[in-house]
Amino acid sequence: MQNRAIMTVRRLIIAMLMMALGQAAHVWAQDSDQSSEYLIKAGYIYNFAKLVEWPASAFAQPDSPIVIGIVGTDPFGPIIDKVLEGKKVNGHPFLIKRLKPTADVKECHILFIGSSLGPHVADTIRLTRGTPILTISEIPGFADHGGIIHLTLEQNKVRFEVNVDAAKEADLNISSRLLVLAKVIQQPGDGRKTE
Amino acid sequence: MSSTNPQTGVSIRQALALVLIALLFVPSSFAAPQQSDIPDVTAMSMEDLMNMQVTSVSKRSQKLADAAAAVFVITQDDIRRSGATNIPEALRMVPGIQVARIDENKWAIASRGFNGRFDNKLLVLIDGRSVYTPLFSGVYWNVQDVMLEDVDRIEVIRGPGATLWGANAVDGVINIITKSAQSTQNAVVTAGGGTEERGATNVRYGGKFNKDTYYRAYGKYFNFGPSDYPASGVTANDNWDAWRGGFRTDWSPSGPNSVTLQGDVHTSKFGETLTIPSLTAPFSDTFPNHGSFGGGNILGRWNHSFASSQMSLQMYYDHTKLIDDSLFSDRQNIFDIDFQHSFHPGSNHEVVWGLGYRAINDNNNSSFTVAIKPNQLTLNQFSAFAQDEISFADRRLRLTLGSKFEHNDFTGFEVEPNARLLWNLTKTQSVWTAVSRAVRTPAITEEGLQLNSGVIPPGGPGNPTPLPAVVAIMGNHNFQSEDLLAYEVGYRMQVSSNFSADVATFYNQYSHLRTAEPGVPSVEGNPIPTDVLVPFYAANNMGGGTYGGEIFGDWRVLPKWRLLGSYSYLQMSLRKNSDSLDPLPDNPAGSSPHNQVYLRSSLDLGRHFEHDFVVRHVGSLPGLSIPSYNSLDMHLSWKAASGVELSIGSQNLLNNRHLEFIPDFINTAPTEVKRTVYGQITWRMD
Repeated sequence: MQNRAIMTVRRLIIAMLMMALGQAAHVWAQDSDQSSEYLIKAGYIYNFAKLVEWPASAFAQPDSPIVIGIVGTDPFGPIIDKVLEGKKVNGHPFLIKRLKPTADVKECHILFIGSSLGPHVADTIRLTRGTPILTISEIPGFADHGGIIHLTLEQNKVRFEVNVDAAKEADLNISSRLLVLAKVIQQPGDGRKTE
Repeated sequence: MSSTNPQTGVSIRQALALVLIALLFVPSSFAAPQQSDIPDVTAMSMEDLMNMQVTSVSKRSQKLADAAAAVFVITQDDIRRSGATNIPEALRMVPGIQVARIDENKWAIASRGFNGRFDNKLLVLIDGRSVYTPLFSGVYWNVQDVMLEDVDRIEVIRGPGATLWGANAVDGVINIITKSAQSTQNAVVTAGGGTEERGATNVRYGGKFNKDTYYRAYGKYFNFGPSDYPASGVTANDNWDAWRGGFRTDWSPSGPNSVTLQGDVHTSKFGETLTIPSLTAPFSDTFPNHGSFGGGNILGRWNHSFASSQMSLQMYYDHTKLIDDSLFSDRQNIFDIDFQHSFHPGSNHEVVWGLGYRAINDNNNSSFTVAIKPNQLTLNQFSAFAQDEISFADRRLRLTLGSKFEHNDFTGFEVEPNARLLWNLTKTQSVWTAVSRAVRTPAITEEGLQLNSGVIPPGGPGNPTPLPAVVAIMGNHNFQSEDLLAYEVGYRMQVSSNFSADVATFYNQYSHLRTAEPGVPSVEGNPIPTDVLVPFYAANNMGGGTYGGEIFGDWRVLPKWRLLGSYSYLQMSLRKNSDSLDPLPDNPAGSSPHNQVYLRSSLDLGRHFEHDFVVRHVGSLPGLSIPSYNSLDMHLSWKAASGVELSIGSQNLLNNRHLEFIPDFINTAPTEVKRTVYGQITWRMD
């Protein structure tokens, strides 16, 4: 009875692996519509760059790069570099920099704030006040702290919220084509800063 | 294969070899994704991107990457694809956790050893509310239930979590976290039935009062039919019926405040076969017994963000009533208030500190078998903790120092310090190590119980007296806290977004573990003697060590196919002190297995089908004479139409009938785990 149990487990595991491999060969041939989370988010960032207008002063030349700064834990890794390599938006190529939290973020057009800065999110956002930087993060409550775009996952699909007041303060014009797809967040309308 | 091979030996090696082969078979294309492998997301519109399903493992690993502890996260996807319909079943996939089903409505669940129905070294929380009962220092697993569709994740930490979670988080903490009300909008209805869970339905509706305030309300019901006794195959009495309902509201306006209010009410009935001692021949009585549970809870939490710090204040009230006919009834009220504040006094320090108070009120009614003195009691517990995470080398090295300080009515002051170090070797590999002290404070039963566990007939072997001898397990006001000093080391690697592996090892040194020391027998009954009482008093005369580890790997082989595997190893070496007279043999390791293996394949077939199957091996429990067993579980789900999902699952598909545990203290008859088949329809009206 002991040997039978061993044989059964062995056969099961082999059967399982073979079945899975067989299915794998079948699905490999199919078009995949499922991808890693950060591949999709890199695509979002590309689209944000297309659908957000920076003030003229943000770019020295018509072909100056759109600088994307990543502070805190970088969840993208090489994926975002591969996705944006050789791409241009309105003639501007992309330049991706990984920055220390204390670095000067003012040269960035887009600032992605990684989750490790969760406890310091309000400080980091404050560093960008008064500059035309599109702040993006996954940190919960990001939009409430004055961040502009908050990325979330709902039922395994990437969604985003936009804080339109923070965007206005940063002198960024967000296309209505993007706003219509977002969950729009507004800060209290009396213009007082919330801390 | 020689028939003298140890039972667990060969099949374990087979399973382990195959797990290792599967995990080590890493194709070279992991080095960096080739340009041609990645779909061109820049050629897709926003609408297309919004329709893409996320399936990478990095979400799980992201949370773990910063933890200097043995953490495992059960995601909502893991729960859904496993076909688990209750929390104990969902916990089977966690390395280092032992889940043993006693009968249809009772489980014994432990982390890293010491399993028992009334296991006492694991802390369980649901949305911040502790469901650990101070009555016997364990968890009523059949009272805890949540609507699994609305669970965001279950975080399991093996090893002491005492500094953050306090006493009794000795060998592990299980944190069940439900989704926010905002994430559970609109209606979900599930209806299902199967061979053991005869019928179940869950209904939830979520909506919003205004743009800042979201809510959900739910109701659920299930009914389990009885299982069978081993060997005889006679139908048992372990049926189970439960109703539960509740709500949650989250208010999160833009600004620094957010408030959550949630609550549940529940009632359930269960059956079992109970054996209790008696003073008249035949001195023990076995009969079908019934019981019921009921209660409710309400919890509120307020989070506030300051300019550069955060605080949270949480209060809850929990009422649980248990009536176990012929045995015991208990009403427990718990009020808990907890405050936490986190801030950074310097750019390299992150400090969290907090204060807590808990009041426990217990009322119970005894029977001949179980009596607790006093019948009514109120306990007060005070706690404070502080922890600083200090970063060096640009956050590559993080040292966490902290301690919890508690005062309880049984043992006075307790201090639980810990030190943890996390070293990010590279962006994808980290090593961590920890030393911690944790205590398990005495339970109400250890202080004041009399459990008559058996009667030895007069004149029989072991009882030369003319009166029946009642063997009783008694509490003792001098019972101290059990003590643990834990040393842990772990290693984590996230090779790519497709493959991660995690190893956690531990060496635990225990002292003052519970023993039962014989007392002086006495004749009871006045004026006519009725019996001789043979008491065994709770004492703390055992110590020793346990060691082991868990290795876990998660590999997305292809976008549609994921493999998950884990192996858990445990060795226990416990010894009674030289002055102990406890009659049980040394090394009660026999209630936890030395080895456990878990292997899962998750496959997506086309856009509509999901197929999972699991092979599990649980080693033998030699102290309970329970052999090892293997189980093949399968789950298939079909998105039949928009918002409609049909699923069918089977546990123990090969019908490898087996017992998983024999309960301690209260003698209820365990029943077999047979093949179960369960089907469910889920409607989502989004």
